[in-house]
Amino acid sequence: MTINAPLPDADVIIIGCGPAGMTAAVELAEAGRSVIVLDMQPTPGGQIFRNLEANLCDTSLAGQSLLAALGPAYRAGADLIQRFKACSSIDYRPQTTVWEVRPDGTVGWLQGMNAGYVRGRQVLLAHGAMERPVPFPGWTLPGVMTAGAVQTLLKAGHLKPRGNIVLAGTGPLLLLLANQLHQLGVKPALVGRTDRLSDNVRAARHLRPDGLIPLVKGLGWLGRLKLAGVKSVTGLENLAAHGAQSVESVSFTVGGKRRTLPCDLLIVHDGIVPAIDIPNAAGLRLQWDGPNASWRPATTPDGLGASTLPPEMSAEPCVLRITGDARKIGGADAAMAHGRVAAQAILAALDHGAGPSAEALRAVGKALSVRPFLDAAFPPGLAQALPDDDTIVCRCEELTAGDLRAKIRSGFRNMDALRGETRCGMGPCQGRSCMVTAARLLQDETRAADCPPTFRGRPPIRPIPLGAVAALSGLDPRATIRLTLEDKPENASEDTVDAPAE
Amino acid sequence: MNDPATCFSLSTASASEAAGHSPSPQPGSKMFSALAPITDAVTLFLDGQPITASAGDTVAVCLLRAGVSYNRLMPVSGAPRLPYCMIGHCFECLVEIDGIGNRQACLTPVRDGMKVRRQAGAPPALEPSAP
Repeated sequence: MTINAPLPDADVIIIGCGPAGMTAAVELAEAGRSVIVLDMQPTPGGQIFRNLEANLCDTSLAGQSLLAALGPAYRAGADLIQRFKACSSIDYRPQTTVWEVRPDGTVGWLQGMNAGYVRGRQVLLAHGAMERPVPFPGWTLPGVMTAGAVQTLLKAGHLKPRGNIVLAGTGPLLLLLANQLHQLGVKPALVGRTDRLSDNVRAARHLRPDGLIPLVKGLGWLGRLKLAGVKSVTGLENLAAHGAQSVESVSFTVGGKRRTLPCDLLIVHDGIVPAIDIPNAAGLRLQWDGPNASWRPATTPDGLGASTLPPEMSAEPCVLRITGDARKIGGADAAMAHGRVAAQAILAALDHGAGPSAEALRAVGKALSVRPFLDAAFPPGLAQALPDDDTIVCRCEELTAGDLRAKIRSGFRNMDALRGETRCGMGPCQGRSCMVTAARLLQDETRAADCPPTFRGRPPIRPIPLGAVAALSGLDPRATIRLTLEDKPENASEDTVDAPAE
Repeated sequence: MNDPATCFSLSTASASEAAGHSPSPQPGSKMFSALAPITDAVTLFLDGQPITASAGDTVAVCLLRAGVSYNRLMPVSGAPRLPYCMIGHCFECLVEIDGIGNRQACLTPVRDGMKVRRQAGAPPALEPSAP
């Protein structure tokens, strides 16, 4: 009996509905291809355009002042969201998490209590970025949040911070958020930057003409904060949050002096890095990006990933592409530009088109040209020095840097051995918050020249209820076939077992 | 919270009772204020107490607006945690929703009549069956 491989559910499956995913979906749908878009959030937009549609419809005074505070870069997503929604042929599946992706284009999904597999002839990973994990003393206390979290609360929760607010870290998002808060009538007690004036000046040599607009924007933010009398320091080091049940104060060093401030909400940000959970579990090759102290997927310019499996072990060629911030941090404009490139490459792979146009590739280069300047002006700060022994590294399993160092010294000298021994990376977040710190600790302790590879990623990479597993849809019929073998021991048992005595 | 006896007793007690905190959500948050009053209100139950939210809010937003002091107590040390990333990466916002534990509050929209319980340490172990 021959059982055929399951048919693809769509030409292309896109994971993530932010700027890159939406752009690619529209391009592919307009070219007549069937597209499924899976996204964790309830509405399209990704994190940058989170809840934009609803906020644009809100005509109340509060709604209008929120839109004004979030600024033109937020409203700029309206056109793309509208085009995405106008493509009625796109099979858009919101509130859907992805817990497995295979190089052959098979994707495991979960929506509510239902789960299953869908297959695409091509798959595009457009799942975006995450904020760099920043282990420091007290970072697990209630009242410590990332800048992205506070922005999400503004956009999708209509909550603004109150009380004594301290922002600490580096990067454009920190300054943008401080400005947005100020416009909403919230005055932070301090904006503490880890970058130094010397970083900013040194970065100037990376400036390209296309970088001047972001530079002017950034200087505008700084100017407005200064005018508003928001206290600001640069060169902040050794941040710590203190409190029993939640943050009560923060302390830090500036210019060799230790300072302590009362604090109800500590907002931290140390730049953003590609989210590697899906590529890592899909077995795609990752490369270590030293200056950014993070991994990123190894891809061709049009986003094609490389499976780490040797060719003789993979039945099908790898059909996974990576785009947007999940491939390389560049922000919304670069994500949209690359989403277009990836879509054109996918069309070519589906025998339809000549591949990315020179113009589309140039647009990516142009949008990314400001990155060398931003990377140099805002180098990793809070996460730069490795945490001291008492600081928690693995938030889920509450393991400290000291716990990990002790195990590494006792002989657990690769990532998977360390994980198996300590449970670091085995909690609900599956290593998203701790993996990079564990790898850097391992490199430091073993004096290795290069950062070690990640924990081996295995599905499910997000929790999935057992009831949903039991009722998985879309299983490969070849994997569920049951054969009855004639030579099983039970068939022979009558002959071999002594008959009971009469 | 590491004491197994405590963990066993949690099968019936709500997280807040087990932690010795007030079982009702605190009135308002010291960390956040709302930009606008609740619209299109739905009622859910937080540790048995009714609590209102705007339709379209996530459970995490609803709890932060109410000013809860934690979403869960850690299984290892019992330390309290509130949401950290709000975009589904950190898993700090885990709560029990309609009887199913470890749901990401930041990804789950509120629904009228939804039952939310904050988690207290390790989940209760199963009673050992009689020999």
